[in-house]
Amino acid sequence: MSAARKRRRMDLARMPGAVAQGVDERFQVATPLRRLINKVYPDHWSFMLGEIALYSFIMLLLTGTFLALFFDPSMAETTYEGSYTPLRGIQMTKAYETSLNLSFDVRGGLIMRQMHHWGALLFMAAIVVHMFRIFFTGAFRKPREFNWIIGLLLFWLGFFEGFAGYSLPDDALSGTGLRIASAIMLSIPVIGSWATTSVFGGEFPGTEILPRLYILHVFLIPLILIALITLHIFLLVKQKHTQWPGPGRTNHNVVGVRMFPNFGMKAAGFSMIVFGTIALMGGLLQINPLWLFGPYRAEVVSAASQPDWYVMFLDGSTRLMPAWDIHIPIGDGYTIPALFWPTILLPGVLTILPMLYPWIEARLRKDRQAHHLLQRPRDVPARTALGAMAIAFYLVLTISGANDVVAEKFDISLNAMTWAGRVGLLVAPPLAYYVTYRICLGLQQHDREVLAHGVETGIIRRLPDGRFIEVHQPLAPLDEHGHPQIEYAGAPVPKKMNRLGALAPAVRGFFFPVEKPAPPTPVSPTPVSPAVAPAELEESREGR
Amino acid sequence: MTAPRQRRPRLLSLLRRPAGPRSRVRRRLGAAVRLGAALLIVGGVYTLFAPGTGASATDDPAQAQAVAEGRELYENACITCHGRNAQGVPDRGPSLIGVGEASVEFQVATGRMPLARHEAQGVRKEPQFTRDQARQIGAYIQSLGGGPTLPDPEAVPNLGAGGDPARGGELYRVNCSSCHSFGGGGGALSSGKSAPGLEHSTDRDIYAAMLTGPQNMPVFGDNQLSPQEKADIIAYIQNLQEDPNPGGWGLGRLGPAPEGLAVFVIGIVALVITTLWIAGKS
Amino acid sequence: MSVDQHPRAGGAEGAIDVDDPSVPQFDLVRAGARRDGVEIVHYAPRFPVRGTKVEKRIERTIALLLTLSGLFAFGGVAAYIFWPFQYEPGPSASKLFTPLFGLGLGGALFLLGLAMVVYAKKLLPEEIAVQDRHDGPSPSDEQRMTSATLLNMVDETGIRRRPLLKAAILLPAGGIGVAAVAPLIGSLLKNPNDGHILLRTGWDPANNNGQKVRLTRADGTPIRPEDVSVGGQMTVFPGIPGGATNQYADSPVLLIHLREEDAATLRANIEKAQQTNSHPPVVQGMWGNFVAYSKICTHAGCPASLYEQQTNRLLCPCHQSQFSITNQAIPIFGPATRKLPMLPLELEDGYFVAASDFLEPVGPAYWERP
Repeated sequence: MSAARKRRRMDLARMPGAVAQGVDERFQVATPLRRLINKVYPDHWSFMLGEIALYSFIMLLLTGTFLALFFDPSMAETTYEGSYTPLRGIQMTKAYETSLNLSFDVRGGLIMRQMHHWGALLFMAAIVVHMFRIFFTGAFRKPREFNWIIGLLLFWLGFFEGFAGYSLPDDALSGTGLRIASAIMLSIPVIGSWATTSVFGGEFPGTEILPRLYILHVFLIPLILIALITLHIFLLVKQKHTQWPGPGRTNHNVVGVRMFPNFGMKAAGFSMIVFGTIALMGGLLQINPLWLFGPYRAEVVSAASQPDWYVMFLDGSTRLMPAWDIHIPIGDGYTIPALFWPTILLPGVLTILPMLYPWIEARLRKDRQAHHLLQRPRDVPARTALGAMAIAFYLVLTISGANDVVAEKFDISLNAMTWAGRVGLLVAPPLAYYVTYRICLGLQQHDREVLAHGVETGIIRRLPDGRFIEVHQPLAPLDEHGHPQIEYAGAPVPKKMNRLGALAPAVRGFFFPVEKPAPPTPVSPTPVSPAVAPAELEESREGR
Repeated sequence: MTAPRQRRPRLLSLLRRPAGPRSRVRRRLGAAVRLGAALLIVGGVYTLFAPGTGASATDDPAQAQAVAEGRELYENACITCHGRNAQGVPDRGPSLIGVGEASVEFQVATGRMPLARHEAQGVRKEPQFTRDQARQIGAYIQSLGGGPTLPDPEAVPNLGAGGDPARGGELYRVNCSSCHSFGGGGGALSSGKSAPGLEHSTDRDIYAAMLTGPQNMPVFGDNQLSPQEKADIIAYIQNLQEDPNPGGWGLGRLGPAPEGLAVFVIGIVALVITTLWIAGKS
Repeated sequence: MSVDQHPRAGGAEGAIDVDDPSVPQFDLVRAGARRDGVEIVHYAPRFPVRGTKVEKRIERTIALLLTLSGLFAFGGVAAYIFWPFQYEPGPSASKLFTPLFGLGLGGALFLLGLAMVVYAKKLLPEEIAVQDRHDGPSPSDEQRMTSATLLNMVDETGIRRRPLLKAAILLPAGGIGVAAVAPLIGSLLKNPNDGHILLRTGWDPANNNGQKVRLTRADGTPIRPEDVSVGGQMTVFPGIPGGATNQYADSPVLLIHLREEDAATLRANIEKAQQTNSHPPVVQGMWGNFVAYSKICTHAGCPASLYEQQTNRLLCPCHQSQFSITNQAIPIFGPATRKLPMLPLELEDGYFVAASDFLEPVGPAYWERP
């Protein structure tokens, strides 16, 4: 071997260490990296709903990139000569034509379109479900008010992003939606006509709106969305997640699992499941069949015309609004069209009020403390009932948005559906409030009752004097009066015997419940890292 | 010269009436004969040249048979509301004079008629008569008052044959989809009425409906939508019926409403169950 | 919960010598966690005894899930490459392309996720960790030092004692701000009064060299009265170049041929309305039994197209406004507030023409609507 030739031996085993050393020399990552890995996350199923939105968003970015490579938002007219024979020879815009190409002439284009659209619906659905979880458990309270506002902004950004997205293909259904959007802008007092002609670049529909919506949809709004989502998650990590009250949990700690490997693996698995769900829906459930709608024409409309579900509540409010124009008899006379109230004012109120709600509630409760422990919905009956009222209001509006579909499918008069919606909008929310309030109080009482008298065991005993009594299992040692000494701590009260013990079901299995109690989990006196074999550990022990 | 006049042939002299005023009776009789002759001539000319509403009935024994059978069926099932000779019964059933064979075939073959009860509109239901019987009733009504007719099914087995679905699609979207929906799923009209779904409509029913404008459907006569355009529309609707959804299950082709429902009922429910499993203690 | 005591932890929690190479790995982990404010209070492998049947069964389950996931993935890719994909009308194998690929891709992802979650739940050690929140305001000394630094910044700039600068800064602040947005807003702004966009439609004779505009079908053929059946309706467009395209999106009109009685009712209603001094004026726009209304709904602009020929109602499918055809298309139900404008009809050379443009703006209302 030549002495001049020196070869550095590649030691693969040492390579990760060498790389880590190199990175740390440059960026000093040791401490922050470990801090990240060791972050503790509480484990509860309702904390994973926001993740559904996050993973759907990632899916939207990926599928959207694919679609953007084939879509052309131009409104120039062309004649279709693609594969879908029932539209051959028809005049349409390039936007519609490229959407049809994606559906029929790009391999895999249709499933990408469908995954994108289902992903968008799932994104908004997850946001709504997550928002209600936050509301009902009080996670929006100090110090998380700002995150709450970011969440509301994310909802509205998603709303506009989705609206822009489904309007891009320029089909008859979404074109009708654009027409309604221009009418909504027109209805704004004073500036309405200017706003509409400015946005559309002239008369409706013009040739500018789709390219403008495209830039909004693929660039501007995703930019803001990514920034806000990053901020939202950053705040979550910085302030740490809230947790349910329970053993060992206080307002000043977080009890759970560390990020890696436990939480990270579960989160990664869940992300795959969400991706898989979107892909399965995208492949097996048809959505937005553009080719059946035809290209947008001002004289064409279909029965059963609705916007996507997250916009449907505004369609409902528009349908239910009575025909009340306001005429202002100054000068030539001015009009505030009836359309202004359900489409501009209502969403405005529905945005501002929830944004202010954390402070409104803090004021009403005279509560300035920071809260990291969640509240069970039953323990705050006023807030829960208010939330139920909001859900009732929202549901009446959303169902009214589809009232012609409901009327046709269930043989109900369309006029009756409209009136039912108008009346229901005023009657259902207070009813929901009252009923929910009473239910919350009832549940609270039951909790207190079990705490005071113990869990019903189901064992009936006959006393010598002939009475039957049920034996109750007290939850705490009895005091001199025979009452258990236990206070309600905000955690779920066990109501069944098989839940006693660790406040978790002792019944084993999610899919196969077994009537035997679970074996006690092995608690080793000497916690070991799984990477170390027991024999090694024994050895090291011996050595000391 | 008078002498040659007396040598006229006898035939002519027989024809010539005797000189002098006629008697009143003869005058009256002559007038009656002339009137009768005139009537006969006019009636004969009319019979020869008038469009025979029942002309084919007298010409074609099969058609006459159909009319007779139709009349029997009519008098069993329809006469209570539509009256004798299809003249209608006030507050029960309108007159059917002039509605035509096509209209009757549509209403009866789709089961709409006989009506189960008076409501916002007659709906498609289990037909009481076969299509042949419906056509017989139609022949009878046609014989009473005329009206629009459909071509013979043996002659034209598919009224959508030769139709261009692309052109039909354009016509469908302008004229039909506002009531029947883009996918032919039907739609709601005011006050309890509805435009039915087209999933089960045959070519003859679609043609008849366009031609006759049943109930609240507008009339699209052959002057407005030519038979070729009607064939185009039928071809498009047949395409809608026969073309499977390329994207998977169509959720009823009712648009965004069932799609929104599906994302909650299928997507969110499945994912929430998954979160319950992931974060569970088992 | 169990608090585990490490016998060799130097007696007290956390007092181990991190630099000692013989310290077990997990001790280092715990020490590091403690530094990060995390106390690992319970940590135990699920299977302290290795190789039990239960553990092996779980491993096999996970392996099976992963294998299935791979199979689904490759199956999906195979379907993508080899399954017929070209559209054909009617039932064909290509209709299954999207479902098969979706099943493959979605199934693969879903099964992979299942495998990962099963791994996390069944094989990873179970643990309970507690982390301090360290929430609340920053320590007061930090707060004071930071506020002093900020205040010092303000003092350094001296802005407080330089009122002239304070005032002067407002001018460019506002000005540059406006200058930055001016091009964007200014270029986007479009005056709706230019060309009277909202007041004129394609039916204005000015579009046709001053001549009255013919009513045409979508393909441009003009329309005679015989072309519309009694009880029928037809969508008509202005007979000008591009009249049937979206360029004149406010121009589609519904031409209706009423029955005799209904036409008489409408005529009577129009006469009655003409006697009131309404603005805009009501004209007798019918020709014979024909009437033409703007198809653009006055609520939100959808085409109001559901013509119920027996009840003479026009229903708009978007928000269920209903207009009475025999009474000047005045809304009788739903959210619409104004009648559909009537297009005055005339006959020229046997073809329908519009006598003039609509006498009121078509479509939804707006602030300055006359």
